[in-house]
Amino acid sequence: MKLSEIARLVYLNLIQNKFKVILTSIGIVVGSATIVLVIGIGTGSRAEVAEQFQNLNAGAIDVSYEGSSSSLSSSTTASVSIGGTTFSLDIGGGGFSMDFGGGTGGGSDSRTNSEAVTLTTDDMEDMEVFVPGISDATISYSTTASVEGGDLSASSYYTVAGVLDNYAEISNLTMAIGSFLTEENNENKEKVCVLGYTAAKEIFGSAADAYDETVYIDDRPYIVSGVLSEMGTVASGISPDTAIFIPYETGIKYITGSSISPTITVIAADVNNVDTIVENIETVLADSYPNSTFTISDAGSKMEAASTSNTTLTLLLYSMSAIVFVVGGIGIMNVLFVSVKERTNEIGILKALGCSRRDILLEFLLEASCISLIGAILGVLLALALTPVVQMFSVRVDLSASAVGLALLFGVATGSIFGFYPAYQASRLVPVVALNQE
Amino acid sequence: MITMKHINKGYMLGEEKLPILKDVEFHVDEGEFVAILGPSGSGKTTLMNIIGCMDVMDSGEYYLDGMAIHETPEDELTQVRNEKIGFIFQNYQLIPTYNVMQNIIMPLLMRGESKKQAEEECMDTIKLLGLDHRIAHKPSELSGGQKQRVSIARALVGKPSILLADEPTGALDQSSGKDVLKLFSELNEMGNTIVMITHDLNVAKSARRIVKIVDGRLYE
Repeated sequence: MKLSEIARLVYLNLIQNKFKVILTSIGIVVGSATIVLVIGIGTGSRAEVAEQFQNLNAGAIDVSYEGSSSSLSSSTTASVSIGGTTFSLDIGGGGFSMDFGGGTGGGSDSRTNSEAVTLTTDDMEDMEVFVPGISDATISYSTTASVEGGDLSASSYYTVAGVLDNYAEISNLTMAIGSFLTEENNENKEKVCVLGYTAAKEIFGSAADAYDETVYIDDRPYIVSGVLSEMGTVASGISPDTAIFIPYETGIKYITGSSISPTITVIAADVNNVDTIVENIETVLADSYPNSTFTISDAGSKMEAASTSNTTLTLLLYSMSAIVFVVGGIGIMNVLFVSVKERTNEIGILKALGCSRRDILLEFLLEASCISLIGAILGVLLALALTPVVQMFSVRVDLSASAVGLALLFGVATGSIFGFYPAYQASRLVPVVALNQE
Repeated sequence: MITMKHINKGYMLGEEKLPILKDVEFHVDEGEFVAILGPSGSGKTTLMNIIGCMDVMDSGEYYLDGMAIHETPEDELTQVRNEKIGFIFQNYQLIPTYNVMQNIIMPLLMRGESKKQAEEECMDTIKLLGLDHRIAHKPSELSGGQKQRVSIARALVGKPSILLADEPTGALDQSSGKDVLKLFSELNEMGNTIVMITHDLNVAKSARRIVKIVDGRLYE
């Protein structure tokens, strides 16, 4: 029989059993929807991780001392209400905390001590001098301070970061308008600042409106020398979008005093030498602070840990899809067995009229594949409908044509594989036995 | 056309084999209209299944149009059933989800013809059997006589060597049964070879030759 005629017979059978087809395909519907969403969520989370790490240099190594009880800013969370919107500011230990949440914080060499230590620019310079393979280094700290000015009707608390002029380059920050802090700003302890994108919008309405304006930090006027481009969520430390950056020495003089807990960030010239550089940094610090231990974490390990975590999650979701497909496939096989049983007499008639085993096998196999394809298409549509719902739970879903293609392919393959045995059984029926089946 | 020599067939009943056909010798020439008459359980349906290549014999030789059926594998028997045999069943055996036309053209589709080609080819047969106004109807919308006509049309469209009818009037009322037997006579006059199985002597009398089967043995 021609394949087109077999397809026509399959079409007739499907069209006359619409309800059964839909019920049979439910397993495939769920499987396909799952695979589209799984790939979408997987791609979305990978993109999100990539965005979070965009301001992190792969060769960056952060050195901080976390054990000091006298640091200016202990770990607190402040809620600030601006224009009817509440903003939560997480302030981590006065410095750029490199502690990863959500299981992404692997690869850190973490130790604690009992003696309070404050890292200084001298320590940073020691590292630059005595540790080979460092291309750049910077030191920074953060605190919270009250901010007034612009459109703010009352003072609000913002994260204020004391940084050097090379911080922007090391952290891959780009300017939306104006320029970043300079070495002269720091040396002269000038009251200038650079606003994060969101901070600028909240305080002045827009980046353009903020430029060259005055903002009051702890009641002292600071000139806005520039506004950063929007950076989005970052993997570690404070978000540049919501922070205000001031010169390192200016912050010590006017805001924090000497009670700070800075983080030194060094950049390895070759990312393959990170482990050696970490060891050398430990040696240099041990020389300066014999009884102290420090938290040293490298960005590459963080990226790798995040990537591994992401891969594990994706594999877990793929496993779920596979299970759903197997369950769906067993459902199809079950229904096809019943269908073969119901249509044994019809198969007997076809055999009596001269229908070959191959044609009967093809007819039932094609029927299974079509049921699966219908299920897969419905599954893709279900996934499209569910995507906004999933996104409502702050889960990023990046749908792609390849995910849709894969879902359709897996759907049809599942139906064909699980439909083969019932189809084979149908094709092997003895004509006279099948014909006499009531 | 049909030559059967020493055909034996039995079925297992527990551990014992129950013989159904015993050393059957049977011959049908082209253009004959033969009735095989026998009571229930005599083995006539088993004989028809073997003639129709739907069942295999335990021993013996069977030649159809010179072809040694007893040596032919199942895959080739499929082709034999399609090309050489037209089945007419007591309970019509129509596919309920297909309409009249779709049921009738099935044997042609199985030969690889397209739907259009098959529909054109079967129009003469449909008109001959008076079904041209019923082609879009489903079997459930037809009377018993009409269903049997559809079954006959399906058997005829492939222009088989032989028409095999198993109790063709068994499920019909007297009037419809007479119509079907009259149609068989006409088809035989047109040159079709017919082998009909029945338990009814009056039905068998419409054939030109009657062969009796009793307890698995054939008597002329």
